[in-house]
Amino acid sequence: MDDIVIDASGLGKRYRLSHKTRADSLKLWARNLMRAGLRGTSSADTEDFWALHDVSLQLHRGECLALVGRNGSGKSTLLKILSRVIPPTQGQARVRGRLVSLLEVGTGFHPELTGRENIFLNGAMLGCSRSLISRRFDRIVAFSGIERFLDTPVKHYSSGMYVRLAYSVAAHVEADILLIDEVLAVGDAEFQEKCLQSLQRQLQDGVAMIVVSHSVTRLHRIAKRVAWLRRGQIAEIAEASSNLLQRYLEDDCGVG
Amino acid sequence: MTSGRPHVSLIDGLPPRFGAYCCELWEFRQVAVMLIQRDLIVRFRQTFFGLAWLLFKPLMLMLVLFFAFGFLAGFDRNSAAPYPLTIFCGVLPWYLFTNAVPDAMNSLLSQMHIMQKTYFPRAIIPLAVVIVDGIEFFVAWLLFVLGCIWYGYLPGWQVVLFPVLCLQLFLLVASIGLWLSVLNVRFRDVGNLVPFLMTIAFFVTPVGYTLNQIPSEWQLLCSMNPLVGIIEGLRWSLLDGASGFPLVSWALSTIITLLASVLAVRQFLAVERFLVDLA
Repeated sequence: MDDIVIDASGLGKRYRLSHKTRADSLKLWARNLMRAGLRGTSSADTEDFWALHDVSLQLHRGECLALVGRNGSGKSTLLKILSRVIPPTQGQARVRGRLVSLLEVGTGFHPELTGRENIFLNGAMLGCSRSLISRRFDRIVAFSGIERFLDTPVKHYSSGMYVRLAYSVAAHVEADILLIDEVLAVGDAEFQEKCLQSLQRQLQDGVAMIVVSHSVTRLHRIAKRVAWLRRGQIAEIAEASSNLLQRYLEDDCGVG
Repeated sequence: MTSGRPHVSLIDGLPPRFGAYCCELWEFRQVAVMLIQRDLIVRFRQTFFGLAWLLFKPLMLMLVLFFAFGFLAGFDRNSAAPYPLTIFCGVLPWYLFTNAVPDAMNSLLSQMHIMQKTYFPRAIIPLAVVIVDGIEFFVAWLLFVLGCIWYGYLPGWQVVLFPVLCLQLFLLVASIGLWLSVLNVRFRDVGNLVPFLMTIAFFVTPVGYTLNQIPSEWQLLCSMNPLVGIIEGLRWSLLDGASGFPLVSWALSTIITLLASVLAVRQFLAVERFLVDLA
């Protein structure tokens, strides 16, 4: 299968929950070391917690997979592993092509820098070359609609202007795979509509996406498949046209 | 939108190899360039004197040291070159060391919010900080040049060693910085300890004095400090001092620097992927 862009098998992420004070200081660490040396490891004080457990999925070119699930179900953990922010404890994933993760808008934005400077900085953070950003600069600015404030430090921006500019950069990066975590909920209704349309365009161009969102109506419009995560595992995976979203919504509201 | 080669990467939670990591650093060089630009812009924006701060601080330290060691202690009497120039050769590398090591140490923690949201080789962050301080270091040598003009002093052929010694200084600073930066993520104690150690290091480093002004039986012990070989080397290279090339202290410094760089890189690669989890 040549058009598989993400092939993940058995991904798991374990965290050790400590029920005692964390050894955050050298003193505690040294003390724990002494104790561990005296009476074996102090594993009794910790408990394993699998934020993600045995998750396997495949993503194809031009496909949009939506992740739904309650808080703490492992959606963000999965996106973070796929974007290489944190390493998996188990399993592996093969990623084909350029992956760009939008886990927040405006990564690396610096308040002292102007809008113009931040566009280039953020572009670099998203893995774009300077020349690519230069070529798309006018489109980015037009998309954001903040031409007048381009040379103002972003610390003077309103929060709406800030996210519009930040999202505009993200919408113009060159990617084969996009990982999007709740960043669609920015700006006013008009701007959100603009974002959705740009995502739909990119899907048609063959970009693959994994989208996390709590806004189910919005997911309907772009997602082809939906994966429902529960306690770190994929509970169900189905076509978006099925009743899975509806059932998730009922469950989430505590109706079901 | 697919451009060029289909790049396949494997996510498996294993530590990266040194060679592959270097390739990746090169791939992400744009991030380093942007971080360096950002730091340079932010440092001087909204400062009235701007770049003059770069020269003012080492100049003041030189004057204080000249007063203490040259004027009060009379060390300048048996100095071949103008004593202020001798002090500059110590003050400028010292300034790089004392700025870049704590800056690099704090860099990962202060940029953690970026690391939590996007991937690039994490070593870029401390290395970019060292480069920014390095740029300031080179600008500050303007003071030395002005000093040379003032005294009508011209360095000899030994100046060819200047770039080598600077490189060695960068390697030393980057290694210590890399190592402390990951250590600081795990143990915040380091952030308290290092500034204190810096104060002590200042007195055991020949910044305001020269190595041959301390009793000869102590010189070897003093040379265990890798900065000593570099500073004395710079003095030899730029001031053509009466004494010969400081072979012992330079050799010691080279060995310690190389050792430190190997250890720092190994340590960094071993824990790099856990940094976000640890913070």
